[in-house]
Amino acid sequence: MKKASLLAFLVTFSTAALFAADSPPVGSAAPDVSVTDSKGNAHSLSQYKGKYVVLEWFNPECPFVKKHYGSGNMQKLQAEFTGKGVVWLTIDSSAPGTEGSLTPEQANKTMADWKTHSTALLLDSDGKAGRAYGAKNTPHMFVVNPEGKVIYEGAIDSKASPNPADIPSSTNYVKAALDESMAGKSVSTPNSRPYGCSVKYGK
Amino acid sequence: MVGRIVNAIRAITALALVGSIALPHPSPAQTYRGRELVHAEVVANTTAVVPARSFTVGLLLQMAPGWHTYWKFPGDAGIPTEIKWNLPAGWRVGELRWPIPLKLKEPGDIEIYGYHDEVLLTQEITPPAQLAETSVKLAAEASWLVCEKICIPGSASVQLELPVGQTSTAAKSELFGRFARLSPQPWPGDNLSTANWKRSGTNLELALTGPGFDSNSAADFFPIPPPSIVVGHPVIAARAPGRIDFRVPLETSDAGASSIDGLVVLGDKANRRAWTLPASHRVIINSGGSTNPDSSSGGILRFLVLGLLGGFILNLMPCVLPVISLKIFGFVQQAGQSRKRILRSGLAFTAGIFAWFIGLAVVLILLKAAGHQITWAFQFTNPYFVLVMSAVVLVFALNLLGVFEIALPQSASRAVSGWSDHGGEAGSFFQGMFATILATPCTAPYLGAALGFAFTQSSALLLLMFAAIATGMSAPYLILCAEPRWLRFLPRPGPWMSHLKQLMGFLLLATLIFLLSVIGAERGLGAVIWTSCFLLTLSLACWIKGIWLTPVNPAGTRFVAGLVMALLVVTSAAYFLGAKFRATNATSAELTGLGDWKAFTPATLQAELDQGRPVFIDFTAAWCITCKFNEATVLESAAVRDAFRQRGIVKFRADWTNADPEITKMLKQFGRPGVPLYVLYPAGRSSEPIVFPELLTKRIVLDKLETIGPNVAAQ
Repeated sequence: MKKASLLAFLVTFSTAALFAADSPPVGSAAPDVSVTDSKGNAHSLSQYKGKYVVLEWFNPECPFVKKHYGSGNMQKLQAEFTGKGVVWLTIDSSAPGTEGSLTPEQANKTMADWKTHSTALLLDSDGKAGRAYGAKNTPHMFVVNPEGKVIYEGAIDSKASPNPADIPSSTNYVKAALDESMAGKSVSTPNSRPYGCSVKYGK
Repeated sequence: MVGRIVNAIRAITALALVGSIALPHPSPAQTYRGRELVHAEVVANTTAVVPARSFTVGLLLQMAPGWHTYWKFPGDAGIPTEIKWNLPAGWRVGELRWPIPLKLKEPGDIEIYGYHDEVLLTQEITPPAQLAETSVKLAAEASWLVCEKICIPGSASVQLELPVGQTSTAAKSELFGRFARLSPQPWPGDNLSTANWKRSGTNLELALTGPGFDSNSAADFFPIPPPSIVVGHPVIAARAPGRIDFRVPLETSDAGASSIDGLVVLGDKANRRAWTLPASHRVIINSGGSTNPDSSSGGILRFLVLGLLGGFILNLMPCVLPVISLKIFGFVQQAGQSRKRILRSGLAFTAGIFAWFIGLAVVLILLKAAGHQITWAFQFTNPYFVLVMSAVVLVFALNLLGVFEIALPQSASRAVSGWSDHGGEAGSFFQGMFATILATPCTAPYLGAALGFAFTQSSALLLLMFAAIATGMSAPYLILCAEPRWLRFLPRPGPWMSHLKQLMGFLLLATLIFLLSVIGAERGLGAVIWTSCFLLTLSLACWIKGIWLTPVNPAGTRFVAGLVMALLVVTSAAYFLGAKFRATNATSAELTGLGDWKAFTPATLQAELDQGRPVFIDFTAAWCITCKFNEATVLESAAVRDAFRQRGIVKFRADWTNADPEITKMLKQFGRPGVPLYVLYPAGRSSEPIVFPELLTKRIVLDKLETIGPNVAAQ
């Protein structure tokens, strides 16, 4: 049993690595990668089967990330959906020495200072998870349904700008995808063009 | 470093010349931790503003080494630079022109499109015709994202002060020239290179051929997808001398996407050259009922109904009415006769209509299979076809005027053996065909949408569509035949019939004038003269037939008469329509008179669009009555002309009289099989072209111009 799941993991992961260039198409199985969070706990997607999972690519220095945290928009969204039982994984894929790269201590401080409500902040400094998902931007959002399928991939909302003043007039695609899917409807915007800073991967 | 010194010198020079030439506003700079990252300023290519004379302004961004700003499509990350002008009322600003960007790669397979070091984003500014001030201040808000390892948004209020004068000289030629050389060129005409898009699964495939695509130099495709489409990284799928195939993966599940805008880039670094490749088949039909053709069964049904209706309306067309009157007249004559006979005659007429449409469909299918450009009413673009039609119309007219009677040869009526007295059926059959042939130049506008759909479909559907049109056209006759009681609504026979017949003859002669005008438009006055000479001898032959080739003449006389007729027709055809007719040339443009319209070519259109000007195109032809009507009553009316002028819209006339293949291609791009077609490209290439209905009114045009007003007016 254990062997079988290990094999499945290896197959998924190697396939994911092979196609690292592209994000998993909406509707396909989300790659399962294990990443350690700022508190030393390992998280992998398979352990959250049966729950909605939001993946949020993060870089505290990026102006587009600051747009959504500085305005409280991201925290509000995190609080709303973790309150509804959604697992919210914030992932920092910045390589050591690049912008936004955090030590576990810095990460915990950022979470406290910014009053985040995500389930965990994963430190993906080797970019393993980021490449598996083809995450290119911060923020770059993925929503995975309880069956482990990607139901949304792309931007957080409809207005590609670093200006927080644009938030009230934009459509939040992540919220829409979760609300629609939880209500048993199909997701009306299953993908969009993500916007933001590039993810700062190592070579 | 050198750049800084040059800038300093520029600034000092500018200060030294205060008041006499363009004075850049103290330029804002974006600094980060005490370091200047981006220096922004606006510059103009002129020393002074001359009323109503357009000039070019540029937003110049100078980036610190290693930092970059973004192109209009930033790629996997980033935000395009923006500039918003606050111009006084009456000023207009054109589309932002972006130099060819660099493709920059970052770890993690991230590709972005942007600029290092320095970039000049240019725009055309048109001042109003009257300027009271002695100098003007043009202000803009610029915002950008600049990235190296990190990204920092920047913005600046920039402004430019220029004196107003009656003359001006060029300024900053080196800078503008350098970036003009880096601007993408319009895609060359298809005789030089071809670009074909294909959707294959989740990929878009772009096949390019052209002499410039040798297999050694660097080549790339920079996509410019609309916001609704997310694309992956374009890759070269195959290369051969003179050919490159690109594959653009689609990351959106947009079933409708079949092509996207983009740049075809050859060479690299400072030697890069690029061509703008517009997405093909981007069609918006604002009114007229049809939108993008879809092949769902609902779509098919809708188009078949449209075909049926179109066919019915054909009966009311001025082109065909005289012939239809003939048929009605026939019914009147037969009203006293047996029902059976009426039915047979009606069915034969219907068969004639069907024979023509189905025959046309088969020809189209064959041509399509052979890869020809097919359009509705294409036969009218061939002067020989029009010539034959003129001869047929004249012969019918002479017949109606009583110059001669048509009697089927004895042998022919015997051939339809068994049935006595059925000569009328063959006549009805040909009348049906004839009515339909005459109708074609009137049909295109009404059947346009339906046929546009049919042309993109399978041969079976094309056949079905034509059958629907034929059914629509013959419906009134079939109904009259099925219910001959309704014939009593038609008047009783009497001497008025021969008068009416003659009147119809004159109507047909009017049709002849129209056909001759078509020949004139296609081949000039000479062709009309030669055709008329031939028609005159043909009339003479008909007159001979009326006198000496009738059943009452002795066989000898009939033989001689027949021989003389044949000689007359053959020799005059050989003499007038041989070398003389062939020697005439296409002179349509000179005859039509372009006035303030420009002659359309794809290159001139592209040039205007690149300048950021709004463009209106009138697709027309000499033989298209609807086109002429629209031009006379709407496009050339004072109100519409003024509206066009006020908005600075460049007017193109695409004359399809001789079936110019470039124009045929444009028509197909808009899903139209023929003229008329009216298209407005609003200023700013990001906007979709607006397609007008086939039948224009002043209200439609003015309203539509009103809606695009804000785009082209001062921003």
